[in-house]
Amino acid sequence: MNSKKAHVFFDLIVIATIAALVAWYLYDAYSASSHIINLILVLPLSLIILSLCIIEFINRCKDNDPIIEKLEPVSSVVPVICLFILYITSLAWLGFDVGTSLFIAAFLWLHGERRLIWVLAYSIAFGFLVALFFSSMLPYPMPMLILPSQY
Amino acid sequence: MIDIIALQAGLDLLFADYSTWLIVVPGILIGLLFGAVPGLQISMAMAIFLPMTLYMDFIQAMLFLTAIFTGGSFGGGIPAILMNIPGTSSSIATTFDGYPMARKGQHNLALGIALGASTISVIVGYILLLFLVKPISELVLKMGPAEMSIIVIWGITLIASLSGQHVIKGMIAGFFGLLLGTVGYGEAGVARGTLGISYLLDGIPVIPAMMGMFAASELFRLVNTKYLVDDSAARKVSISKIFSGFKSVIRYPWVLARGSLIGVLVGAVPGVGSSIANLLSYIQTKRKDPDPDSFGQGNPTGVIASEAANSSSEAGSMATLLALGIPGGGATAVMLAAFSMHNITGGPQFIREQTDIVYAIIFANFGQAFLLIILGLMFIPILANVVKVPMHYLIPSVLALAIFGSFGLTGNLSGPITVLIFSLIGWIFKRYNFSVAAAVIGLLLGGMAEESLIYSYQISGGQWSYLLERPFAILMLIMLMASLFGGRLVKFLTKKVNVNV
Repeated sequence: MNSKKAHVFFDLIVIATIAALVAWYLYDAYSASSHIINLILVLPLSLIILSLCIIEFINRCKDNDPIIEKLEPVSSVVPVICLFILYITSLAWLGFDVGTSLFIAAFLWLHGERRLIWVLAYSIAFGFLVALFFSSMLPYPMPMLILPSQY
Repeated sequence: MIDIIALQAGLDLLFADYSTWLIVVPGILIGLLFGAVPGLQISMAMAIFLPMTLYMDFIQAMLFLTAIFTGGSFGGGIPAILMNIPGTSSSIATTFDGYPMARKGQHNLALGIALGASTISVIVGYILLLFLVKPISELVLKMGPAEMSIIVIWGITLIASLSGQHVIKGMIAGFFGLLLGTVGYGEAGVARGTLGISYLLDGIPVIPAMMGMFAASELFRLVNTKYLVDDSAARKVSISKIFSGFKSVIRYPWVLARGSLIGVLVGAVPGVGSSIANLLSYIQTKRKDPDPDSFGQGNPTGVIASEAANSSSEAGSMATLLALGIPGGGATAVMLAAFSMHNITGGPQFIREQTDIVYAIIFANFGQAFLLIILGLMFIPILANVVKVPMHYLIPSVLALAIFGSFGLTGNLSGPITVLIFSLIGWIFKRYNFSVAAAVIGLLLGGMAEESLIYSYQISGGQWSYLLERPFAILMLIMLMASLFGGRLVKFLTKKVNVNV
């Protein structure tokens, strides 16, 4: 599969996913209550989106020579997304202070920063100072590993 | 229209003691800081510093709180321009052209324009308030669900105009956003689309979703970029360019006037306020512009339209607070708390009996606008240095900041998780040409659209004739139609006349 065909294929998957999500949402809303108050916006809106998805799906299938803009390679974005997912899912037990410092250090290392002292100094200083600032400003406790949760 | 004696008394209140003004500078700085840091809200700043106002007299307390409000209204535009993160929902439209300007190396100009538009429109807004405080409050009382529905529909029309070349995909994105805006408990008392997750019962947190869609998804796309601005010569922070941007605003008096008027009128509507005002001003400016396609590509007029409306909406929300005692949003709700802490009740009686205080508050805001110019010109050059930071430092720092901010908004990990999910959706949408801006607008308006539709349906009993009983709604509908199709109709008619001749 060449890159153009792959792009169109994934484009079709995105359209189909949106349509599937909308259909599921409509079903969920209808199952919860079929009263007009519950469906006054959801029903017409869902039907419009589904119709638009069908039209766009057909258009994309018919388009033999689609124009595709230059895009960033997926291989360079996926590691960043994985790191971001790890950062957020670990916040509950690593805390904002350590979790943020580790995330920034890992990101810098991944993107070619090899000055170890610089990586450590920046990530720890940023992570801890911002965590300190927010925890002293916010009226509720923040998950922390080393710093106090609330001031 | 203006009570001269009360005006004199108001000015005496303001200038009798210089110490009254001492609290304005810290107020503006607090507002700037809370507005500029994504996730810290103006209302949060006001709530945190509210207890301090116990030790102030009422005028000082109002000056301090409105200074935070004024500083914060402008501050929200700074991350919108530099990082594509709308600090508040009232800065969404600022990202549309502000961020592309920053990417083109016009960050100095964009920030100067934002400051100019904000300060001038604060002044224009309060001048309007000075003359129109009573008519505005009467207008607000006439706003029923039918009128609210029309305002929301007006906002939704922006979805189509933001779709760009991929119209159907833009509409899918916008309507999908609208649908997502209805997730959670509806008016029928049943939960929809929550997947059993209790965090979703109140709906999707809009600002964290916005942060994910706009900022985080854009940062993913920039992972291979060295700097936010490619050209090293354009990365300089230049006070003269910021100042020239500031001055350039006066070349667009109609954009400023339209934005300010929309800001005051829509800002006065409780619950709608500045979130929609900036979008309406942006749509109207785009429609009137001879080159509408340049919007979204870094057109300075787009920044002026958005900033003018969101800053002047402060005056609109103050009109509702002072004249009716109704808070239009979080910030004015905190002000209402300050009212009660000083045993004062807003409303028609307050306007009638304490007109001098109302005038003092209005004139204080003129002074605050001038102070904001000075403080803004000092503050912006420091923040503009963001463009000099290498992207591999900027990306994780801004992502982390968005996560802290989203936690600050929700008070639990649902905020960061929302940012994560919507950053992925935003990245996929951008990659496959679904308009992210349209999706965000939909998300913002979804709940409001459903609520106003239901109320209209309940009041009208499903009868369209109800609309005919609401002359104000008909007038708004005509204005909406004229703004949508007026230009095309005139073109069509002129063409026909020319053919016949």
